[in-house]
Amino acid sequence: MFVKEAYLQSDVVRAPVDARDDRSRAIDTRFAEALSDELSGAYRLAGYLLADAAEAQDAVQEASVRAWRGLSNLREQDKFHSWFSQILVNVCRTRLRKRSRQRTLDVDEVDLEGGDPFRSALARDAVGRALSSLSTELRMVVVLRYWGDLPLADIADRLGIPIGTVKSRHHAALQTLRRRIEPATGGTR
Amino acid sequence: MSDSDFDMEERLRRFAASTRTPPLPAETAALPWAVQSESRRPGFLGRLRSIDPGWGRAGRAVYGAVRITATLAVAFGILLVVGQTRTGGTASEIVVPVASPRQSPLAGAPSGPEVVVLPTSGVVDDVMASYVTGGVSQAEADGAAAVVVQLDTLGGSESSMTTIYKALENATIPTIVWVGPSGAKAASAGTFITLSAGLAYMADGTNIGAASPVAAGGGDLAATYGQTEADKVLADAEAAIRSIAQLRHPLAVDWAVTTVANAQSYTAQEALTAHGINGVADSIDQVVSQADGQTVTVNGAQVVVHTKGASTVTLNEDAIQSILQGLDDPNIAFILLVIGVLCVVVEFFHPTLVVGLLGAFALVLSFYGSGSLPLNVLGVALVILGIAMIVLEPNLPSHGLLMLAGLISFVVGGVAFYGSPGPYLPTATVAWPIIATMAAAAAAYGLLLVRTLLRMRNRAVPVGSGMVGTVNVIGMIGTVEKDLAPLGTVYVAREAWTARLAGEGSALRGTQVKVVRKEGLVLVVEPVA
Repeated sequence: MFVKEAYLQSDVVRAPVDARDDRSRAIDTRFAEALSDELSGAYRLAGYLLADAAEAQDAVQEASVRAWRGLSNLREQDKFHSWFSQILVNVCRTRLRKRSRQRTLDVDEVDLEGGDPFRSALARDAVGRALSSLSTELRMVVVLRYWGDLPLADIADRLGIPIGTVKSRHHAALQTLRRRIEPATGGTR
Repeated sequence: MSDSDFDMEERLRRFAASTRTPPLPAETAALPWAVQSESRRPGFLGRLRSIDPGWGRAGRAVYGAVRITATLAVAFGILLVVGQTRTGGTASEIVVPVASPRQSPLAGAPSGPEVVVLPTSGVVDDVMASYVTGGVSQAEADGAAAVVVQLDTLGGSESSMTTIYKALENATIPTIVWVGPSGAKAASAGTFITLSAGLAYMADGTNIGAASPVAAGGGDLAATYGQTEADKVLADAEAAIRSIAQLRHPLAVDWAVTTVANAQSYTAQEALTAHGINGVADSIDQVVSQADGQTVTVNGAQVVVHTKGASTVTLNEDAIQSILQGLDDPNIAFILLVIGVLCVVVEFFHPTLVVGLLGAFALVLSFYGSGSLPLNVLGVALVILGIAMIVLEPNLPSHGLLMLAGLISFVVGGVAFYGSPGPYLPTATVAWPIIATMAAAAAAYGLLLVRTLLRMRNRAVPVGSGMVGTVNVIGMIGTVEKDLAPLGTVYVAREAWTARLAGEGSALRGTQVKVVRKEGLVLVVEPVA
């Protein structure tokens, strides 16, 4: 609470960018451009991974900060996209795990209107509601596959796991989802 | 893949495509630029530095202390290995080549007697002891006619001195000490060494004596260590010189005792008259020619020295011995201590490993060097205290008083850095310009720290995940955490906020509420219908 108060009262939301040499300013600009291309996609991914707008914003911020700090680790500039989304996925995974230790979120219990935009979007459909019954691992595969539009090989890259594992998780996730929504849709189609 | 999987895939695909993504709030999009004043993550050392065991503040302090201790231990270990193989009593038996390789090996030398010369200067320390011991052994092995130790010293440590005079006393060939050239001194420990040689010569214009426990600053031993302790040290030194002088000449005993008891210093002529030395010689050649025909006691037997027409072979200290002897300089030991303490302090505040390692090396070298110097514990403590105060200045606002006190402590400590606790040690002081320079360096470091800290304080607040900042909570649905009656706590946007009800009444824990507006840091909420 103290930190937040100090932060809000200080008016220093934007740092005065002090004088830096041209080279580092060029790096800043390049980073800024590369990141701004990523932000909305990242927000969508984080939003549906976490099903919580506030937390998704936090995750995007955190990933941005981490990317900035770790910029020197990025060897090839054209890999920025996959590198950044790897960071984002890691941030989200950590948050999901932390959350599973704290409290469970269930889409069903949330009000459809006026609530969280991601949660209400998910709550519109039985599939979306069933998503919250998946474990963190399975849920990440599903969201990356369908909301991130990533092929399974790329998912393996983002999560840092073998493609075989991704395939089996994907299959298990689909099975679980089907079992979960069958009663709702009234039998197999 | 089964059909049902395929169906499920299609359904997910369509559903995902139909879900929209709200726009990212402007604050979130803007934040990455705000964090750019943060420094980027450094390389390998930086990662080493950022190891955080996660035990909180106390844990980090313990961790820092452990790391500094480990750094010191590593540095000390390396130096111990180097030092032991090159110097040190026990190691000289393990490592044979103590003196440097011969310049003119005997194998090719013309037949005839040979005299080995061991030039020494500076403080009597472990390095000199191992050099002389090794040189004497080599002269014995080469079958030299005699070994000459050329001496010019103000004194040194008692243990090194004992090693040297034992080596001279127990040599299997005649031993000669020559105090020279003109201007040289055989003070304190040097007196003992000179008198313990089989034959002793001094050049004109050299001095012997002042082997007494008089402190450098004019104060005496009793004032520093108490009368009993002083008497004990004095009696001990007197007994030692009495037994050494007895072997030289019975008439020299009383004269030798005055060098200890009264701190008397004598010229070459006076020493000769008192039977303290065998003659006055102005060069090695004169020493060699005068020594010829003299009778000395070697291994308890009377031996006549044959050095007529002998060639002289000089054994020099090797490079490492010279460097280690250089550390005995009172000024260098002081500088190394200050640099070492500063580096260790820097390491504590800004861990980099490299600086800490350098500091540890400097400290260990300083302690090594000051081992043969009359270090005054009080002076050392004052210097360290001074540095500590100078460095603490930025942390404890004292408007410069701490810095001033630190500087005073530092300078006083520097002046009193050396005392004179024994009859063997040389008198030593730190030069004024060096005290001033090091004090200025410490103060400059302290000021630099202040400047850096101030700059850090004025820097933008770093934005991390822990700060949600300007998240717009208005319109969000939250849960009452602490009953609103009307003031309480609401959990919204994954955070606990102080909240109050918009209207009358109360809301119990668990009720869903909607945020209507924000008043400062208080949310105004109304129950969800």
